[in-house]
Amino acid sequence: MSAPKDKRGRDGILPGLLKGMATTAKSVMRPTHTAEYPHAEPTLPPRSRGVIALLEENCTSCMLCARECPDWCIYIDSHKETIPATTEGGRDRQRNVLDRFAIDFSLCMYCGICVEVCPFDALFWSPQFEYAEYDLRDLLHEKDRLGEWMATVPPPPALNESAADPAEVTAANRPERGR
Amino acid sequence: MSTPTETTLATGAGLTSHDMVLNIGPQHPATHGVLRLKIVLDGERIVSADPIIGYMHRGAEKLFEVRDYRQITVLANRHDWLSAFGNELGVVLAVEHLLGMEVPTRAVWLRTLLAELNRVLSHLMFLGSYPLELGAITPVFYAFREREELQAVMEEASGGRMHYMFNRVGGLKEDVPAGWTGRVRDAVTGVRRRLPELESLLVGNEILMARTKGVGVLGASTIQQFGVSGPIGRASGVDVDLRRDAPYLAYAELFAPGGPGRVVTRTEGDCLARLEVLLEQVHVALDLADACLDRLATLPSGPVNQRLPKVLKVPEGEHYVATENPLGFNGYYLVSAGEKTPWRLKLRSASFNNVQVLSRMLPGQLVADMVAILGSMFFVVGDVDK
Repeated sequence: MSAPKDKRGRDGILPGLLKGMATTAKSVMRPTHTAEYPHAEPTLPPRSRGVIALLEENCTSCMLCARECPDWCIYIDSHKETIPATTEGGRDRQRNVLDRFAIDFSLCMYCGICVEVCPFDALFWSPQFEYAEYDLRDLLHEKDRLGEWMATVPPPPALNESAADPAEVTAANRPERGR
Repeated sequence: MSTPTETTLATGAGLTSHDMVLNIGPQHPATHGVLRLKIVLDGERIVSADPIIGYMHRGAEKLFEVRDYRQITVLANRHDWLSAFGNELGVVLAVEHLLGMEVPTRAVWLRTLLAELNRVLSHLMFLGSYPLELGAITPVFYAFREREELQAVMEEASGGRMHYMFNRVGGLKEDVPAGWTGRVRDAVTGVRRRLPELESLLVGNEILMARTKGVGVLGASTIQQFGVSGPIGRASGVDVDLRRDAPYLAYAELFAPGGPGRVVTRTEGDCLARLEVLLEQVHVALDLADACLDRLATLPSGPVNQRLPKVLKVPEGEHYVATENPLGFNGYYLVSAGEKTPWRLKLRSASFNNVQVLSRMLPGQLVADMVAILGSMFFVVGDVDK
């Protein structure tokens, strides 16, 4: 294959090269777009799925997250504790106590289904991503490590002005039953 | 004593040559993953080529059968990792059809917008990587700079940079953040403004022309035999685009006469034509994204999803949905037995067919043109091996 000829009939790779160099020269004049990561922190949006944080007090060990996880990377152990009745003739109550809550981030697909299904707001996404490990097994975060991520959870962003009211607002505005 | 006999020990090979079997891949930078090409060479000429696939087979279809529809979107957006939004879309459209579910208008337009942004992202990837395979290192930096702008707005809405996981049966996961549409507008305008820089490195470049013009010509009849679709089909004059011909989402309105949508075609069918189709489709997709933003601004307030039951069961039945993914037709054939998991979910992916045609295209070509042809087929190995 021979290169196409230019107007004077010469082999012309020069115009293309010059055009490319002109574009490069234009870019050289502009400040760089790349951020030098370890020195410059990236600004990540609040919805960014970096790591899953656990608010242990909210967890009732209902196992919904562990069951809905597409690759079953959430491990939960719990036991039941009996709280004796506080009043005379009252009933003893049972309470779930969370013994272990672990997410294996080497298996996690970062889909966010566990965060979505949690009925008690115990799981949150954090944009924090700096938890790379040299050993795969260290990516299994136990509940204390998952709890530490709570400090990095940002508040959710405000929604678009055309968005429908959140379910909580609609529920609060609904007229009471029986009226 | 034996009588002396004349024995020919060897003859000079002269100009004849022996066939040589050459394996390209599975680990080869030009295969974008783990595609193996078994090529039989006669000197510099390719005698036959055999794409050997399956190195990355993950059994996606079988995995779909033991997962509910929300979990399926997680898996489905991963086979073609460059067009996760388009992949999710097919699954939820099939489920919504079987459920007879109507999707809120805002969700339809937001989905169309995100699908077009995803198309730009995927096309920019190939516009950067194809010149890289031809030896031009610079364009990829320009392509990735634009990708970064668009990925930022996709991440702001969905939380993911590649695997968006933003589609749900009945709409989207949640509404977009305040001010997001303005930032999308800025990103689209910025990409459109800077695109000529990338084009200046590709269009009309003599070296690129020499490597691609008239190389790897694919005829329209071969395309129909192999079921090749998308930009590769359109580069050979096969004027089919599901966005116009079998409209889904809001495409019927966008591709109506006078609308911003148009189908980009070329007739040459060579590597250059395929690259040109991709480049022009970026412009069309940006126009479509702008049209979606205009429309979203005029829509009344409303939800972006439907309230779903805790356990979503899809009624018994079957339905096939094909969507125009950046690389071609992406189809899902959903057969439901009324359970919360599908009985069968067949995946028809674009790259699978687009790669098969290599066995017809490569014979007769020079081995030096092999990478130029392979790269111009714009495939993702995950999409081939599923």
